[in-house]
Amino acid sequence: MAEAMKSLFPTMSRVRLWVQIVMLFVTVWGASVVGHYSAEKISDALPALSCAYDTQNGGYCVLVPLQHQVHHRVGTALVKAQEVTLKVLLPLAMTMLTFLAFFFVLGKAFCGWVCPLGTLQELVQRVGRRFGLPLHAVAADKLGRVRPVKWLMLLGLVLLLPLLTGMGVTAHEFGNPYCDVCPSRLATTLLTGNTEEIALKTQSPLAFAIGALGNTLFGFIAVGALAIRQPFCRICPMLALNAVFRHASLARLVKRQHDKCEKCGICTKACPMDITEIHTEHGRKAYHDDCTLCGRCAEFCPDDDVIQVKLGPFALFRSSRDYYKKRMTGEMPDGTVKPVRIVRKSPQGGA
Amino acid sequence: MPRIHCALLCALLAGAAQAHQGAHDVSGAVAETNGPSSPHGDHGVAAAWSDHPMLLLAGGDRGEVAFRLSGFNADHVTVFAPGGAPDRLEVDYPVENGQVRIQPAAPMMGNYHWAQAREEQDGAVRVASTVQYFSNPGDAPTALLTRLRSELEIVPHPLPREHSQYRESEKWAFLVRWKGAPLAAHALRLDTEYGSHSTAYTDDQGIATVVLPRDFGVPKAAPGKAVAHGRERAGFVLSTSHVEEGRTYLTAFNYTYAPESQRSRSIAWGAAFGLLGMVAAVPLLRRKENENG
Repeated sequence: MAEAMKSLFPTMSRVRLWVQIVMLFVTVWGASVVGHYSAEKISDALPALSCAYDTQNGGYCVLVPLQHQVHHRVGTALVKAQEVTLKVLLPLAMTMLTFLAFFFVLGKAFCGWVCPLGTLQELVQRVGRRFGLPLHAVAADKLGRVRPVKWLMLLGLVLLLPLLTGMGVTAHEFGNPYCDVCPSRLATTLLTGNTEEIALKTQSPLAFAIGALGNTLFGFIAVGALAIRQPFCRICPMLALNAVFRHASLARLVKRQHDKCEKCGICTKACPMDITEIHTEHGRKAYHDDCTLCGRCAEFCPDDDVIQVKLGPFALFRSSRDYYKKRMTGEMPDGTVKPVRIVRKSPQGGA
Repeated sequence: MPRIHCALLCALLAGAAQAHQGAHDVSGAVAETNGPSSPHGDHGVAAAWSDHPMLLLAGGDRGEVAFRLSGFNADHVTVFAPGGAPDRLEVDYPVENGQVRIQPAAPMMGNYHWAQAREEQDGAVRVASTVQYFSNPGDAPTALLTRLRSELEIVPHPLPREHSQYRESEKWAFLVRWKGAPLAAHALRLDTEYGSHSTAYTDDQGIATVVLPRDFGVPKAAPGKAVAHGRERAGFVLSTSHVEEGRTYLTAFNYTYAPESQRSRSIAWGAAFGLLGMVAAVPLLRRKENENG
């Protein structure tokens, strides 16, 4: 039994892959297990992009109720010159409390282990590695330009535009603008055989333009994920929302200071989000807001107990030299694997 | 490569206005093929489009809605809640001037509530039923739909969930039951606000599969209360009858359906912009010169 488990789950990444596949089923087709109606879903405040437009899913992304409540309740109450009473804010508070209840246990693991879009991007990336396609990491000097985008997405698309729409300032088409450009909406509905969401709304030029932007982004992510690790995760508002509360969760990444870290940096190469701080920092700063808690940095850290994935006081995984040596036999830190024969380079360097 | 991107983008954007124009053309063409039907968008002031007993939505919000009784008379409407306090699971609301105002079982409780009214006259029992979705969290209607509410019932199997709705061209299942037991080989008639009629028959489990017709006409010139969040709606009513011990029972279930999504969407343009994004990402797949050593 132990041997069978070992062959099935030889590494933490393999465990994560199985969890991701199970969660992909739950978040895309899970209605067959949990029930048909919204109230029967696992939750309507999941900290993962489990799209409500997918009628066969098992749970809803928290960003849907956030946008709707800001639009239809808070914004509407403000424009009617009413006081924003507890009755108006209560649903918003309940949504955030439900979100936090889930988040308290698993934290950012929702990004790295549960999110269907994260899983799909990883699967596409594996294809890219297997076929020897180039890999583009975001350079350290460019990270400063990319990282603020997720906060702009959260503040602008999830909160501000729905609020302004509820107040009648912006057009109705901006009622849930994040969902309209979210690649997970298109990916998960297509996986259920539903082509409605990929079809652009034509009833107004603005709806058409927003949809066109969303579809273009989806196409870019679908192909771009072959060469860039987790391209959408880097600008995802869910990553930002999860980042706000990451230190409140039981699940977290812990790194202690170590002499060899300065000359190593393998952890950053292993990080699908190209986080340099996991190499250069330690303590709270090493657990960066871009982290998806995938644990690859801990897997590829060549020193004992330097990086740990912890749940409360318990270390779920800790780096070790023996594990590192074993891990390197199957895959390089950046995900490079032995390519399939048709693209393997000849000894002379040609394809 | 950048020139190709620009050319593709220009071609796609130039087509956007044409697609927008095309959406209106589609609606017009469909109206022509469906004949001289007279849609009544505002349920609150519409003339009856069916003789069957119906509870037609006549306005309201997330805290209270009004129904107009059509095709029958009753002194009260009973509302069945999906959950909540036992004394609020079944509440009667008085009918005044042919209208009734109903509320959810609790101020912050939502989800589907079942509304039903009954007329008994000259040995005939006529029951009107509908559902109302209140936009607040609430129990799923699974248990609500299994509860017995009258002798002859038409029960959606299932109801559309949140973010979904009945729409043209879709197949939906309905259970027909008599005193809780399924009625097999029983006729279930469908009438729509746009004048379509059809009949489906139940199978051994009492399930009839109904296809909502593609019969929406021209967009309503003055959108009324049947338009929610800018989405057009029209009414449909399902009816069935049964005779038992010399008494005729007629039960109707009415609700609304929406236009087929493809009337106001273009899958071709969707695919085109998806491809544009893919083409834009293709340069990422080209190996940089220094990567080849």
